[in-house]
Amino acid sequence: MPPNFLPSSIVRAEGLEKTFATAGVGPGVPAVQAVDLDVARGEFVAITGASGSGKSTLLHMLGGITRPSAGRVLLEDTDLAALDDDGLAAIRRRRIGFVFQRYNLLPELSLEENVALPLVLDGATAATCSEAAREALAAVGMSHRAAHRPDALSGGEQQRGAIARALVTSPAILLADEPTGALDSVNSANVLALLQSLVRDRGQTVILVTHDPGIAAAAGRIVRMRDGRIVEIVPGGSAACATEAAPR
Amino acid sequence: MRLWHLLLRQWRNRPGRALATAASVAVAVAAVVATWISADASRAGYGRIAEALDGIPVVDVSARGGGRFVIDELPPLADVPGVRAAVPLIYRPARLLLDDGRRITQLAVGVDAVSLVRLGLLELEAGEPCRDVDELLLDAALARSLGLGVGDELLVPARRRLIPRRMRVSGLVKPGSAGWFAEGADVVFDIQVLEAMSLATALVDRVRVAVAADASRPKVQQAIAARLPTNLVAEIPAGQASMAEDVLHSANLGLDFVTGLTVAMAFFIVGNAMLMNVTERRRGFSLLRLLGATARQIRRFVTTEAAILGAAGGLVGAAAGLAAAGPISAGIARALQAPALGFAVQPWILPAAVLLGFLVAVAAAWWPAREATAIDLLEGLAAAPAPPPQGVPLTFILAVVGFALIALVNQALVILEVLPPRMTVPGGITLLLAFVATTPILLPPIVRVLGWFVPRSLRIEGMLATEQILRQPVRTALTTGVLIVAVSNGIGLGHAIRDNVDDVLGWYGRMMRADWVLSHAGMLQGVAEAQSLDSKEVEKEVRALPGVASVEGLGVTTGRVAGGACVIVARDVPADQPLPLLPVDATEAELRAALDRGDAVAGTVLARRTGIKAGDEVSVEVFGRTVPVKIAALVVDYTSGGASLHVRRETARSLFGLRSADILLVTAEPGRSEELREPLERIVADHTMILRSFGEVQRFVDRIVGGVVNSLWAILGLGFVVGSLGVANTVTMNVLEKKRTLGLLRAVGMTRGQVTRMVVLESLLLGAAGGLIGLAAGLVTAVFIQLASQPLLGHPINVTFRPGVVLTNLAAAIAVTTLAAWLPARRAVRLDLLESISAE
Repeated sequence: MPPNFLPSSIVRAEGLEKTFATAGVGPGVPAVQAVDLDVARGEFVAITGASGSGKSTLLHMLGGITRPSAGRVLLEDTDLAALDDDGLAAIRRRRIGFVFQRYNLLPELSLEENVALPLVLDGATAATCSEAAREALAAVGMSHRAAHRPDALSGGEQQRGAIARALVTSPAILLADEPTGALDSVNSANVLALLQSLVRDRGQTVILVTHDPGIAAAAGRIVRMRDGRIVEIVPGGSAACATEAAPR
Repeated sequence: MRLWHLLLRQWRNRPGRALATAASVAVAVAAVVATWISADASRAGYGRIAEALDGIPVVDVSARGGGRFVIDELPPLADVPGVRAAVPLIYRPARLLLDDGRRITQLAVGVDAVSLVRLGLLELEAGEPCRDVDELLLDAALARSLGLGVGDELLVPARRRLIPRRMRVSGLVKPGSAGWFAEGADVVFDIQVLEAMSLATALVDRVRVAVAADASRPKVQQAIAARLPTNLVAEIPAGQASMAEDVLHSANLGLDFVTGLTVAMAFFIVGNAMLMNVTERRRGFSLLRLLGATARQIRRFVTTEAAILGAAGGLVGAAAGLAAAGPISAGIARALQAPALGFAVQPWILPAAVLLGFLVAVAAAWWPAREATAIDLLEGLAAAPAPPPQGVPLTFILAVVGFALIALVNQALVILEVLPPRMTVPGGITLLLAFVATTPILLPPIVRVLGWFVPRSLRIEGMLATEQILRQPVRTALTTGVLIVAVSNGIGLGHAIRDNVDDVLGWYGRMMRADWVLSHAGMLQGVAEAQSLDSKEVEKEVRALPGVASVEGLGVTTGRVAGGACVIVARDVPADQPLPLLPVDATEAELRAALDRGDAVAGTVLARRTGIKAGDEVSVEVFGRTVPVKIAALVVDYTSGGASLHVRRETARSLFGLRSADILLVTAEPGRSEELREPLERIVADHTMILRSFGEVQRFVDRIVGGVVNSLWAILGLGFVVGSLGVANTVTMNVLEKKRTLGLLRAVGMTRGQVTRMVVLESLLLGAAGGLIGLAAGLVTAVFIQLASQPLLGHPINVTFRPGVVLTNLAAAIAVTTLAAWLPARRAVRLDLLESISAE
């Protein structure tokens, strides 16, 4: 184990690198270089940086969406690099919750059905799916909109629904990529407050990517990136959320 | 909720997409069903034509080494698949003594006439079949020439009877109706009566087995042969095959091709629809993968959808195909002048069609399912869909090479006769797949070159249209695949049919150049000189007529050469007239010299069947006599399907004792043809012959050929209509799928007119490019069909480039694609801009 890694960490990146091929034009573009990062259980970490700094790519590697060119990601001692496609799919289904900037709810399903989708894919019974979806919607304050289709919801409501979908499997970590990027200031504040409450009240680990310093400040720890490298890790504004933060 | 709930929701949310996909399957299955049924109707029609010309297809059982055999030696044959009836026959010369003192000798045949009439294998023009010992049947033409009718009596001498038997004409045989068994006999007795008259009880000359029109004669022959004792053989008689069979062979091969190509077209139509159906939902699949769906789950999702839509579309398509087949079959029946053809639906067609829809849809979903599982997980997160990869995928290059190699090897095996000619159909379809696979490689340069011809006023639209075509290689390949199949179908078969027909007509023109044709009532006498026509007397009478320029006599009889049955044609060709035979690998002068030397020339089909080569000396058996004959050369000939041996009349006389002229070709002096009608009619009445003008013969041949060609055009037309529907469907889906792109173009300032023109131009370029590739594929298909015919015909048929066929097909392809794009383009540009841009 490299120095400064915490024994209680839930996700750990070791020497992560990602280079995108450029179809024979030049040597390829390095998006992430030599990143080591350790996130503790129940921690709220914000990854921030300018556009093209590699923050989203890092998040995608932590979530098993993109395979690193070098290095590895350990999620609760599971080496994601050692898993095949189906193994990674199972990890994404059961242990990781995703929240995206554009909500990405399926337009043909109701909000409750959208929320239940990861459980459906996991083969859970209809009763389990329904009960878990209702619980998750209640947790984000969206029970009253359960039967509505996404196109009948506001952007803030859709994003709360997306967060409920991310929580429905009780994941080990919740990864949020610019979750407030498409929202107005009021809805942004609501979503941010929701994420903070999840960390505070449920001990949910959250890793959030944002280019907005104001949003990042709400996290317990802020990881600043530039040109694919971590240049600084500082405590965020929410001391309560940074219980086990371990800056390197 | 289960994953299939998502499927149902997607259908409910976007019913148009699901319906368009199911409609593609329905169109494809309807095409296949209608083609199956129409092809069946055509084959049945061809069978009727063959029956009308040659009589019913038959297999002969006779004694090995010749002579009669005891009928009790024959095992039962009625239960052999494809057998309609087994008819014992005896042939005897019979003298007829008329009350007015006239005496004529005719070949008589003994059969069970009552059974044949009951089975529909013998038709009477008047009267009843002969039942009693004092009854006989006469050919109606002979009866007319003798001035006899039903109920008239005549005397027939019999062996060991001092007093001839007085017999009554119980019925008149419809001319041609007995041709399949009579072998030129115009007098029909009950078999037991003729046996008794010739004192040969229980001995028959042969048993002629009538084969069902839809059965394979060689297979029936094999099945019969397997049952026979060693002293009997089963053979297909040489005199049976004829010009019609060869025209029909080519047409049948054409039908096989059309059926195969329709299935291929169905695959492209459905494949394209499936691909578009999946491509439209790439972001959704990507999101499902992000949320943890496995590749297997996505594949199962796509395949299940394909199976359901395939089965539903198959059901609708089968119904539509059955509905369409009725009028098409009726049209074919009219074209073939066989109105009683009917419209038969095999019971297996409906389940087979539904199964076909299901299987084609599932198979066609394979690539889209693969695409869906290979979607980049991040694509679902992107604001706009990822552009498709540029360049030609290696898969396509490998597919072109692989398909082409398979097709060429297959064709080589067909030409070398390792594979039967019908195997050229899968080979041709494989080659077509190779052409379709060249689309991503050939389309960019073709479209760019075509782009040069876009008017300057449409430069922007042309440029954008070109880019739209080139950015989706697989989609473009599938859309143009439908077009390529339709165009190559039309061009390939159009050329093959016309070339084959021209080849046959060319031969017929060479063989039958005359103003009048005089022939014996039964053309193939099959008997020796005693019963033959007194040709010298007739020739003399005809030559003496004023206005006659030349008279050419043809003697025709059957024989055996190198173990195979053949027809021997004896004919003299005056030195100042062109040779009616087209030599293969020899000059006309060499052929004339060889015939003058007393050598023979063989038809290419006979040569192929028996292994005879030019220069061989072979044994020819005629009238029980075997003589050596030198084969000087091979010739293109369709007489008896090309199983023919040609000699000069003098040679036939000296070698085989064939003195008769069964056919006289009379050429009138210029402008005097009609003058000959009356005197010739008098002569044929005196000599029990039939007179036909060349015009009548020509019309007869034209009717057969025209009917066959028209029926094939009808089926080809059906293929094109289906191809058009397929193209219309895919173009519609294509345009609707691009709503977002079209909306963006409108948002940045393109007018509705510009966008409409761009979409229509895109389709026009696609139609032209697909049409050009289809043209190449079509010409190669034509060559394939002709090469496949070579082993059967024994000679190559030249493929002639026919601009009319090419231009018609290209124009149709361009018109169809352009029109298909017009409506959806107009609909797409009328959509609300925001709706277009927000389209998933």
